[in-house]
Amino acid sequence: GMAGALEPHMETLRRELRAPDPAVLSVLLALIAVAITILLWRFVQGRRSGRRAVLLLGLCDAGKTLLFARLLTGKYRDTQTSITDSSAVYRVSSDKSTNVTLIDLPGHESLRLQFLERFKAAARAIVFVVDSVAFQREVKDVAEFLYQVLVDSTVLKNAPALLIACNKQDVTMAKSAKLIQQQLEKELNTLRVTRSAAPTSLDAMGGPAQLGKKGKDFDFSQLPMKVEFVECSARGSKGEEGDADFEGLEKWLAKVA
Amino acid sequence: MLDFFTIFSKGGLVLWCFQGVRGPAAAATAPVNALIRSVLLQERGGSNSFTHEALTLKYKLDNQFELVFVVGFQKILTLTYVDKLIDDVHKEFRDKYRNEFQQKGTLALLNGTFDFKDDFTRLLREAEESSKTRAPVAMKTFEQSLKSQKTIKCMIETRGEKPKEKVKPKKNKGSKKEGIEVVAPGKAPAGEKQLPGAGDREELSKDEILQKNREEFFKRHMKAGERASKSPKPEAQKEKGKKPRVWDLGNSNAKVLDYSNSATNGSTEPGPVEEFDPDTALGDRNREPGRLYDLEYESDDETEEEKIVPNPSKTSTKKGGLGGMFGMLKGLVGSKSLTREDMDPVLEKMKDHLIAKNVAAEIAVQLCESVAKKLEGKVMGTFTTVTSTVKQALQEALVQILQPQRRVDVLRDVLDAQRQHRPYVVTFCGVNGVGKSTNLAKISFWLIENGFSVLIAACDTFRAGAVEQLRTHTRRLNALHPPESHGGRTMVQLYEKGYGKDAAGIAMEAISYARNQGFDVVLVDTAGRMQDNAPLMTALAKLIAVNAPDLVLFVGEALVGNEAVDQLVKFNKALADHSMAQTPRLIDGIVLTKFDTIDDKVGAAISMTYITSKPIVFVGTGQTYCDLRSLNAKAVVAALMKA
Repeated sequence: GMAGALEPHMETLRRELRAPDPAVLSVLLALIAVAITILLWRFVQGRRSGRRAVLLLGLCDAGKTLLFARLLTGKYRDTQTSITDSSAVYRVSSDKSTNVTLIDLPGHESLRLQFLERFKAAARAIVFVVDSVAFQREVKDVAEFLYQVLVDSTVLKNAPALLIACNKQDVTMAKSAKLIQQQLEKELNTLRVTRSAAPTSLDAMGGPAQLGKKGKDFDFSQLPMKVEFVECSARGSKGEEGDADFEGLEKWLAKVA
Repeated sequence: MLDFFTIFSKGGLVLWCFQGVRGPAAAATAPVNALIRSVLLQERGGSNSFTHEALTLKYKLDNQFELVFVVGFQKILTLTYVDKLIDDVHKEFRDKYRNEFQQKGTLALLNGTFDFKDDFTRLLREAEESSKTRAPVAMKTFEQSLKSQKTIKCMIETRGEKPKEKVKPKKNKGSKKEGIEVVAPGKAPAGEKQLPGAGDREELSKDEILQKNREEFFKRHMKAGERASKSPKPEAQKEKGKKPRVWDLGNSNAKVLDYSNSATNGSTEPGPVEEFDPDTALGDRNREPGRLYDLEYESDDETEEEKIVPNPSKTSTKKGGLGGMFGMLKGLVGSKSLTREDMDPVLEKMKDHLIAKNVAAEIAVQLCESVAKKLEGKVMGTFTTVTSTVKQALQEALVQILQPQRRVDVLRDVLDAQRQHRPYVVTFCGVNGVGKSTNLAKISFWLIENGFSVLIAACDTFRAGAVEQLRTHTRRLNALHPPESHGGRTMVQLYEKGYGKDAAGIAMEAISYARNQGFDVVLVDTAGRMQDNAPLMTALAKLIAVNAPDLVLFVGEALVGNEAVDQLVKFNKALADHSMAQTPRLIDGIVLTKFDTIDDKVGAAISMTYITSKPIVFVGTGQTYCDLRSLNAKAVVAALMKA
């Protein structure tokens, strides 16, 4: 049956190969060329769009959405609590023609982990925005979220560059980046111990990853990725009409892109 | 009259804002943030209005372009045109800026200037005028009403009388109604002399009908049945000419009713021996003697009372033909927006599925409503069906609910308290038999493993053996972790004052004892109490208000169904009512026990977190000390959505 049906086709193919008819041969070659082009294109595309995203993470009211708007348009916008992510292509201002996709993720407790799950694989770099004014009050929550980001298996594997942006520096009570770094290191040190001692979750797949080196106090230099601290202000010292103060952030973005 | 009207994208950018009667721009952000956090993010999107301090907020979601429209006005005003205004503004805004949204996406939102003020003021004016144009309706005079045209005869109701009208006779006393209510004439006042006249003769002939109706009614409502039996008596007394009513069992004398045989009252003679058929008593003849068979698994179809709502999908399946096929093809290829009718059958099925998985019924309904609101008008992607979109959205909503709204790290807080040289106090409360003492022992074991010393306060002074149970646990824990291996200090100690004393007092003494002796954690065990028991709830509220514990844990079992909602609501209410402080201490966390007894009917977790929006701190999965886990939201949701 089947073999019998294929036989005439095989015959024609063999006949063609022996005595090539230019029309059929050219059609065959064209098809092969198209196939190869498609494969190449997809390969290149995949490699290029692998990890081109810069994620903006942080607690609620840290200023992520305003930072996002300022980076993209330079203008001040009123913002509300984000419920979903926003993404746009950000052209780095230097003469390099590279561009990255800025993704602003919601900071609310019920949403942050879900959205992180969705976008962590595409992350080339992470900007963790911290509210420097409310930091003293929120240090435990900031540290917990940062811990959850850092022990994530995908993040540890890809080791995207991490920038901790201490936002809201235009307010006089804002803490400096150095102080924030010290406090976070201390808090993460404690969290390592308490988190690994927490009761295992249902259906747990292995224990939580270890952060930093055992035995020594936690330090940001112990992490597999590059961590930097920078001060910035999305609102800007001149109020809503002026520009935002974030040269450090822009320089870092240019470096990372 | 509006305070403000904002239009913002779901990503957080405010596109346009209208400042109404008063208030600077900043006044709009705080209430809207509160709206987002409490309604949209907690999946309470069923109703579209929300109250925050002095403002009422109404909102509308546009799921196609990811926009939110919010209007705020004073709570004391009742503006009738607000709903219509929001709908009109939504349509107008969407149509005006449709191109920009579709083409440029996020950048359009960022760069676009949305000059909507003129359109908005026009729509507002139209809405206000439309609410004013309806002139007040003049009341009808009595001659115009239908009642004056009724005669006495048609007012008499015989068949089809509703049982509810039995309550009405109390009103008859004052009113000068010309009609009569035959249903409960027992309470008719003497003033209505028309009763014995015309109505009675009709009653006589309809005696049997009344009696039949009354028996039927008696069967349906037991309570009201008493009233039915009372009424015949005064009826019989009114007119001596009436036939006495013959009941089936009444009027017979006691002898006829006596079914006991003569050998009673102390006689030791056995009654006539009944025919004992071993077959019917034993059942299966072929069973092995002495063996206990396993319970045979039958797929039970539970008759659920919730399935009152007739399935609306029956009507939708009727329309078909070419239009239906086109719609299906269009749906497959994409660019089809979801409508309520498309989603309803799927949501019904999901709701029933959730209820079958032990989620409380009202919560399943609210969840499905909220998901419907979130998906209405959304454009589906290519090759996605309605079912998959709805399921995806529901799954996200469930994970969102189970994510804790605040930090869940007891050890971290204990370390903090340790640094401040004060003990960390945890109180366990719940109804009877959920596993408070068992899980208290498990938690103290876990704390000891982590190097904290624990004082157990036995504030259950009611249940027999409660103190002994805790003493046994203490002894066992000390045997597992002897003082020698912890630098010579006893890791667990029990503080008890016997039975019958005041629980709040014992708790206070235990806490000061712990502070003096340097214990790290105090675990307070309270007696189980039903949520309806007012004095006991007051006592619990007093214990919590007076001692101000760091963590109030509600212990609930995973087997509970709809009861979970009632328990948590009443417990929270009692704690809030009896607290003197401005911000009352409510339940801070939930311990979900007996999790090993439910296979995948994990709905109780959803019910509890939805009602309180507080996290599940621990999960108890057995009766040994190691059976303590923390909640894994993804695993629970996967078990819940599994078919």
